[in-house]
Amino acid sequence: MSGRVGLSLVCCLLALTAAAAACAQAIYNPPPGQNFEGVWLIQGDHSAVKTIDGRLPPLTREAATRYAAAIRARRAGKPDFDTIQTCKPHGFPRILFAAFPIEVLQEPTQVTFIHEVHHMPRMVYLDLTLPRLDDMDPNWMGLSAGHWDGDTLVVESQGFNDLTTLDAAGLPHSTQMRVGERIRKLDADTLEDIVTITDPKWYTKPWSTRVTYRRQPGLRLKEYACMDSNPEVRR
Amino acid sequence: MRYLLSACIVGIGVLASTSGLTAPSDVIDGPLIRPEVSSSDPRDLSGVWYIRLYNPQINSTLGRLPPFTARGKAEWDARVKAEKDGSPMADASSYCLPHGVPRVMNSPYPIQIIQTHGETVIVHEVAHNIRHIYMDQPHPPTLAPTFMGDSVGHWDGDTLVIDTLGFNDRTWIDEIGVIHGKQMHVIERIRKIEGGHALENLVRIEDPEFFTEPWFARITYAWRPDLRIAEYVCEENNRNMPVSGHTVAR
Repeated sequence: MSGRVGLSLVCCLLALTAAAAACAQAIYNPPPGQNFEGVWLIQGDHSAVKTIDGRLPPLTREAATRYAAAIRARRAGKPDFDTIQTCKPHGFPRILFAAFPIEVLQEPTQVTFIHEVHHMPRMVYLDLTLPRLDDMDPNWMGLSAGHWDGDTLVVESQGFNDLTTLDAAGLPHSTQMRVGERIRKLDADTLEDIVTITDPKWYTKPWSTRVTYRRQPGLRLKEYACMDSNPEVRR
Repeated sequence: MRYLLSACIVGIGVLASTSGLTAPSDVIDGPLIRPEVSSSDPRDLSGVWYIRLYNPQINSTLGRLPPFTARGKAEWDARVKAEKDGSPMADASSYCLPHGVPRVMNSPYPIQIIQTHGETVIVHEVAHNIRHIYMDQPHPPTLAPTFMGDSVGHWDGDTLVIDTLGFNDRTWIDEIGVIHGKQMHVIERIRKIEGGHALENLVRIEDPEFFTEPWFARITYAWRPDLRIAEYVCEENNRNMPVSGHTVAR
């Protein structure tokens, strides 16, 4: 109680002494180089993700078999492996490669990515140390911790289920996957994300891909209601 | 400035009179990741809040059902009866569709408010609903109806006023059977109370098709400096996916 009153007194003192400007809402201004705020859209087709130098990722033999089966299933019109067919999440990092706008919101301790597709949020916590992978309850988007390295946002994510693939084509991943990202602005209107996948179950070594996003001035995220494609729901 | 000062004095009074009042969602049960109390800036609403004393039925501030038109009453009665008969009627959220406004503001899950230049965003844990509230601008001249409607906001003193319209008629106002049509107009007045330990949302609901007059509901949320928004994927395992408009228990 005394703490609360103390805070209130501080508030009153502020009100008595502060200039009118101090009463206005303080909204965080990221340093210019670290300011990613706005709406962005992916450039190019990333439905079949390749390494930065344009090669097939270093799949293990078993992963290559699985990947080939996914491609055959897609060609046959029965991509049963694909969770988004039934409105389940893309999962991470596949959602990074989706051809839908992304809105970035920044706060001192959190960078939030709102994906239009499936209205899915991803929080990158700048004040978080990732728990041990074995202690995590796996889910679709995992848990992301980040920090600034100069003007590059460095993010580590883990804690994924293995229900999703890395891309629409069907690159596999396991619950052991760790995803690293280095996100930076190449210029005022271009955002780059270098994504590094480490997953010893399916890949012989860590590998990286690169994706860029273009700023979309004035664009607002639209409402996205995936379940409306369900015939029971449509009307 | 005088306004702020008097608000502070009122704040101390409220604290003194309500300090013994806590709901389960007020109880902080983890290490703090944000300050123990929301910032002293009355317009800084950023952070995680958790509804207090969740009630699936939204009553008006008069403590009773909203002032229904005959149609509104009939729709309410039909839903209450279906529930009693063991075959509840399904709303949009039963299908994992967006909950709509104001329904999503009356949900027993945490919400996170994020304020940036020109926009206030609310990330709802429940079914990953997102609200985009565009600040200090008018609604677009034409609006295609949506589940969440179109929200614009502005500050009236230290109260965030959110004006939302442009709804489809597929969401409900509460979980029991207060429904609305496409004409619904919702105005929310959100402000910090209790010295930053809680948030109050005074919701004004107007829809001449279903209510004889505008009515108000009041919802409060506790400041929760220990919570992060968790993942909630309705689509993953919806055990109650409706069939022919009715929820089916599985």
